[in-house]
Amino acid sequence: MIDADVEEVLLSGEQVQARVAELGAQLAADYAERDPVLVSVLKGSIVFLADLVRAMPIPLSIDLMEVSSYGASTESSGQVRILKDLSTPIAGRDVIVVEDIIDTGLTLNYLLRYLADKGPASVRIVCLLDKPARRLAPIEIDYRGFTIADRFVIGYGLDYGERYRNLPYIGVLRPSVYGAVAPE
Amino acid sequence: MAATLNQGSPRFAHQSEAELARILDFYGVAWRYEPDIFPISWNADGAVVESFAPDFYLPEIDIYLELTTLKQALVRKKNRKLRWLRQLYPEVRVKLFYARDFRALMLKYGRLDFLADVAAMNGNGPLNRP
Repeated sequence: MIDADVEEVLLSGEQVQARVAELGAQLAADYAERDPVLVSVLKGSIVFLADLVRAMPIPLSIDLMEVSSYGASTESSGQVRILKDLSTPIAGRDVIVVEDIIDTGLTLNYLLRYLADKGPASVRIVCLLDKPARRLAPIEIDYRGFTIADRFVIGYGLDYGERYRNLPYIGVLRPSVYGAVAPE
Repeated sequence: MAATLNQGSPRFAHQSEAELARILDFYGVAWRYEPDIFPISWNADGAVVESFAPDFYLPEIDIYLELTTLKQALVRKKNRKLRWLRQLYPEVRVKLFYARDFRALMLKYGRLDFLADVAAMNGNGPLNRP
């Protein structure tokens, strides 16, 4: 079972679900008459998006984007690319970017610049996990689920090597899984 | 104009710095390599005896980055210099990336092979946990 690779449960499924419900209620209140479009970044955010929109009983639409990740690039000096673009225009719309986790902020920093060029009425950010320890790009998070310490987390959409996304909780990956040893 | 690897790579002091530059380039973040030197101590004659040159400056974000791959126990001197810099130049924003931060970054990007290569070249032991 994949649970065996989890060193510690950081946030239980119940904790996550309760906080997502709170975020959904807050967003629904703030965007009640605005017909927002929620833009989720594949793949990690889809589980969060799926639960979040079901906690928002207001008119809204969703869209999905995917951007290339640094490590996945086979080129030694490539540049980030849009692998899947928005399927509908966002000009004049109120956009809510849905992120699973914000770490360095580099991907989101790129994405925000890209979205700004599309002429939205507004762009705000909701993220489930905020990991500020290694933040490089200054990101203003409007709706935050949890602030977490500097741990490598998996589950609830978050992966390591495309695994563990289906865990219903947020866990810390056992270091032996990626070949690390304890510090001296 | 900010330096990027595509515009002619500077001579990096360490491979980890070159790797960080590639990451910044990948995400379109402008950077300059060691663009400024900050004096942090002077002798009685007023001559600079110690200074600090952070590895990177990100002009669009207005932050300096210092990357260290030293073991945690050997970082004390760098921490001291950083503390002085912050006291003398409170308007300057500097972020220190420790070895563990860099390792975590490589783990995030699935670049553990890079760490293994660097460790082998440096004659270091196995990868420590981030």
